[in-house]
This record gives sequence, C-alpha cells and structure tokens, in this order.
Amino acid sequence: MTKPTFILEAKSLDVFYGDMHALKNIDIQIERNKVTAFIGPSGCGKSTFLRVFNRMNDYIDSYRMTGEVLMENQNVYYKSVRVDELRKNIGMVFQKPNPFPKSIYENVIYGLKIQGIKDKKFLMERAVKALNQSALWEEVKDDLNKSALALSGGQQQRLCIARALAVEPSVLLMDEPTSALDPISTAKVEELIHELKEKYSIVIVTHNMQQASRVSDNTAFFYMGDLIEFGKTEEIFRNPKQERTQNYITGRFG
Amino acid sequence: MTQIEQEISALRKELLNMFLAVNNQLQKSEMALLEFDKDLAAEITNAEKRINSLELKIDRDCENILALYSPVAVDLRFVLSVYKINHELERIADIADGIANYVNSLNSTFPKKAITEIKMVEMFAQLKAMMDNVIEAFEKENTSIARRVFKQDELLNLINSTASNVIIENYEESSAESLFYLLSCVRKLERAGDLTKNIAEELIFSIESKVIKHKKNRQ
Amino acid sequence: MTNSQKNRIKDRIFEYFGIASTFFGLVILAIFIGNIVVDGISRIDWDFMTNLPSRKAERAGIFTAWSGSLWILSLTTLIAFPLGVSAGIYLEEYGKKTRLASLLEVNISNLAGVPSIIYGLLGLEIFVRVFQMGNSVLAGAFTLSLLILPIIIVSTRESIRAVPPSIRAASYGLGATKWQTIWHQVLPSSMGGILTGVILAISRAVGETAPLIVVGALAYVPFAPKSPMDEFTVMPIQIFNWVSRPQHGFTVNAAAAIIILLIITFVMNGIAVYLRNKWEKKISW
Repeated sequence: MTKPTFILEAKSLDVFYGDMHALKNIDIQIERNKVTAFIGPSGCGKSTFLRVFNRMNDYIDSYRMTGEVLMENQNVYYKSVRVDELRKNIGMVFQKPNPFPKSIYENVIYGLKIQGIKDKKFLMERAVKALNQSALWEEVKDDLNKSALALSGGQQQRLCIARALAVEPSVLLMDEPTSALDPISTAKVEELIHELKEKYSIVIVTHNMQQASRVSDNTAFFYMGDLIEFGKTEEIFRNPKQERTQNYITGRFG
Repeated sequence: MTQIEQEISALRKELLNMFLAVNNQLQKSEMALLEFDKDLAAEITNAEKRINSLELKIDRDCENILALYSPVAVDLRFVLSVYKINHELERIADIADGIANYVNSLNSTFPKKAITEIKMVEMFAQLKAMMDNVIEAFEKENTSIARRVFKQDELLNLINSTASNVIIENYEESSAESLFYLLSCVRKLERAGDLTKNIAEELIFSIESKVIKHKKNRQ
Repeated sequence: MTNSQKNRIKDRIFEYFGIASTFFGLVILAIFIGNIVVDGISRIDWDFMTNLPSRKAERAGIFTAWSGSLWILSLTTLIAFPLGVSAGIYLEEYGKKTRLASLLEVNISNLAGVPSIIYGLLGLEIFVRVFQMGNSVLAGAFTLSLLILPIIIVSTRESIRAVPPSIRAASYGLGATKWQTIWHQVLPSSMGGILTGVILAISRAVGETAPLIVVGALAYVPFAPKSPMDEFTVMPIQIFNWVSRPQHGFTVNAAAAIIILLIITFVMNGIAVYLRNKWEKKISW
C-alpha cells in the first residue's frame, strides 16, 4: 500500500472557542519529511491550529471544530480514535521547556514507560538514541540520574525534544520551541530541526520570521484565523503572492 | 513609517541624486565635446570626485540595511538592485569623465565633418532619452517605461558599427589624434547605452521580481 | 516633614510593632512551656509511662492514655488518609467545573470550621448507636476521621492545584491517559503537600477531646485497648481528668502528661516540616 502524499491534512477546518471563530475554513497539506512553519502575528490562530492535529485542544471546554483533520489519510477526530494512541505518533514540544521533576533518564523514557514497556535494555537503547538525536547525549551521558531541573534552559528544551523522540513518532509538532531560549541554544535547536527532518515530519509555530526562513521548507502565513498564503519558504520570502503576506514579512505591521 | 521603510525611502532619494548627477555629467560632456569647451571639461573632472563619494555612500547604506534589517521580498530586491544600479551609474559617470579628459588633452578641436558623419549628436540625444526613461521609470516604479530602452539601444549599436568606416574615410594625418579619440567616444557612448539597459533590467527585477538578464527576448 | 521622612517613620513603626508582636507571642509560649516543664519534668520516668491509672497519684501512669492515643491515631490515619486523598483527587481532577462544584468546594472548607463537638454528637448517633460500634476505639476513630476529612480534602486539592498545567500537558502530549498522568506526575509532585496536610490533620486529631468524650471515651480506664472494639481513653482526656482532681500529685501528673503530649505534637509537626522541605527541594517550578 502506497503512503499518502501528505502526512497531515486539514480540509475545510473551522475552530471555535465558544462564540469566538478562531480558525476559518483552513485547507492545508503538510508534506512528509519536511519542515513546515506557521507564521503570523499574535492571536492569529497558529498555535490553536497546531494543537488541532494532536487534539490537545480537547481539554478546553469551549473548543469546537468542524471539517476534517487527517493523519495518513485517517480522520483524527473520529469517535473510534483513541487520543493516547494518536499522541504516540504525533509528538509535541512546548514553548516553555517543561521537563518532569525527575531524573534525565526518567524523563526520556516516560513516553515508553506509559506504554507498558519494561525491558530495561530496550529503554536504555531508546534513551541513548533519543538523547543523541537531540544533541544532548554528550552533555549528560555521565549522569543520567541527575535531576532534569538542574539543566540549563536550552538543555531542558533539548531534553523535552529527546523525550518526544524516544517514542519515535512520525510527526513532531513544535510550538515556539526556542522563544524562551538564548541565541546559542536557539541555534542548537535549529540545527537539530535541520537534522531531524530526514526521519520526521516537523511542523513549527514561530513568531520569529527569520527563524521560519532559516529552518523551514514550506511556510504558512496566518492572519486573524485565516490562512492567507501557503507555499515554499523561498517563494514566500522572495516574492509572496499576497500583499498582506508581504506587509507582514517586511515588518510593515504585526 | 517603520524603521525599515524610512531607510528604504532614504536610499531611494540617494540613488535619485546619483541618477541626476550622472545625467548631468553626460549632458555636460556632450557640450564639452561639441563646443570643445575646456572649462566645461574641467568642471566635469571636478564633479567626478563628488560622484565617487556618493557611490561609496550608497554602497555603505545598502550594506547597512542588509546587516541591520534583514530585508525580504520587495525590500530585499530593491536593495540588491540599488547596489547594482549604483555601480552602473558610476561607470557611466566614468565615461563622461573620459570624454572630458579627451577634450582636455587635445590641442585642436574635433573635425566637424567627422562629428556630423559619425552622428555624434544623434548618439548623445538617444542616450539622453534612454537615461531620462530609466530615471522616470525609477521615480514612478513603472516597468513599461523602463522597457523602452531596449529598443532605443539598437540605434546606438547601429551608429557604433558604422563608426570605424567614417573614421577611415575622413582620415588625415594632421587630425589623427582627434579622430582616434572621436572613435573612442563612440565606443564609450555605446557602452553607456549597454549600461543603461542593465539599469532597466535591474529595475524590472526589483519591481516585478522577473529576471530578464541574459534573455534573448526581453519582455 | 517631607513625605519620605514620614514613610521612613511608618516603616520603623511597623518594624517595631512586628517585633513586639512576635516577641509577645514567643514570651507567652516560653512562660507556658517553662511552667509546665518545671512542674512536670521530674515526674516523667519509666513507671509513669507504663503504669495504669490509679487513685494514688504516685502510682498513676499514662500507659492506657498514650496507648489509646496511639490506637486512635493509627485507626484515624488508616480511615481518613485514603478516603480524604481519594476524594481530593476525584474532586480536583475528575470533577466538572460547574457552579455546583464550586459550591461543594466552599462547603467542604466550611466543614473544617464546624465545632468538633458537633462531630462528636454525629459520631455518637451514627457510629456508636446506628452502626452499633459501642464506645469503642473504632467509633472514636471514625468520628475523628469525619472531623479531619475536610482538612485533608482541602490540602490535597491545594497541593494538586500547585502542579503546573505544563507538566500535565507534557504528559498528555506523550500519550498518557488521565490516570497515568495523575499517578506518575501529579501525585508524586503533590505528595509533599498532601502528606504535610495529612500529618497536620492527624496531629490535630491527637489533641481532640470533646468529640471523644461524647463518643464515650472514658476518664478512668484501667486497661489498654487490645482490639478496635475495646473501650479506651486518650491523653487529652486523661489530662483533663487529672487536672480536675484536688490532690497536688495529680496536678504534677497532668503537667507531665502535657509535656508528653506536647512532645508528640512537636514531633509530628517537625516531621511535616521536614517532609515539606524535602519535597520542595526536589520540585522547583
């Protein structure tokens, strides 16, 4: 069976928080093994849209959606879909690093532990692999039992990335992953994203346009709940089709 | 106006000044050559210093905008094209300065018959028309005005191709030096026409994001 | 006088007022403890701890009283801890945030302020009579459990609330279910606060007198309880009993018993503080 062309898709998606129309008629296709960036001014709905894919908005009481959201051509919102299974395939990294108050090792294997995996050898292998993938291994290999909270901000965020990768999802959703980090840690994480896209499909929300232009292959520009323009990052930043897109990226507003 | 808008606007004004200064040099060089006016030639040589420092300033301002403001899309294309147009204008100014140098170094005037037959006046006139067009295109951000120069350049090429023959026919030992200089001026003006075409290409890139450089059919 | 001068004076006045109040409280406490210690410390010896009560002051001991307190403490903990913590977890994590839920939350806090003797009366009717537990340790334990349940529920909820939503989000994001998130992340993080609350609640229960009297703890018990259905007494009641006797010897006994009771209270509070500190070091949001 051939793989569907796009790993994630949204069709005629509308999102409401109570009466507030947060996302309007979104149609988008996310390419496999590429980095897609969501940009736009604050409150435009890009973070909301990111969380639609792994159903993290479900925890908000007033949340309501219409339309289709597909992963590998399967509708993510069907009643029969088990949300915890979905999230083993779609990982998430948050804006502020949020490691658990446990050891580095415990953090990385948490996602596997809750699946019931107990084999210590297997867990350690996955942990080492994930820490290598997130470029943290060299810095922590001497003491995996150290508390995660003792790491620096940039290290904590890379730990959160390792934690998400240990489960080996196909998609990694990143919600402004470097906005709380210093420039050097930011550069490290961006370097990481570049390496990760060989194995994973990445969607990154960022309010930093230079970051979007540096790391992404495709860029989507959101404004007040609408998807204004979506295309190859080169084209968006060299010659966007929509005037609103151009005004935003040249800093005329937002 | 945002910071970057102010910077872009200032850069635009500076390049316009450069356009006007260089255009002025060209017109003076026409006068200097046709009337064999050594004083005018000296003025041209003096003004050259100012043009050189203006070129350097525009270079520096382009670099600043790139370093500090990370321009994208239309702003980026504008800065890139200003950078190139700046250099092309400087080379056109050099051409005017070169013509002024000839006037300065000659003892006797250019032979009138040669000047007429070689169509020097028409050449200068056409070049002036081309320069006026690109200046207007730049000010109004209008690419159809810019596109006119491609056809206009054909006349300069034509005059250039027949110039050698005119010199040969008019050859006299006594005025050899001035005849050779005259031929050289024709070559220079043809070169100036090419440079003006380049400027038009840069303007089209900046405004339309279309690259027509090296294309056979310039549409 | 300038404004900043006035402000500095106000600053000073408040500082001195604070020092005086603290001092006042400490001095009173010191006098009280000093008094008690002076009166009773000489009486404490092995006999005192192991003797049964007696009509003769020199021979009276607190064995039945402290073993009764121990029984009450253990049984109350066994009943109230799981019930209170589970109820707290349920209300905080699974309960819907409706107006009914807020009403419930307010009223549980109110219950913590209800006079303890009312709990005694309630216990008397329900546990002693309806459930036919009689005047037993079990009835006393159940009654006190009712009393401290609201305290445990409230402190459990507060501790759980202190766990940042970002931790839950991280857990859900990795595919954990609600219960897995509670068991692996929320409870371990809030355990320090929960335990502190439980220990403080228990230590209050240890000092309760009125409800136990109503439920039937006796003043004169010549034996220590051997099963939950036995009759019993506790330290505060024994102290109360001795204090009402005219003989000077019993006053000394009472002072000695108070010292023991205070030691138990301080030790329990100390454990609570130690646990809280230990947990806070591990977890710094």
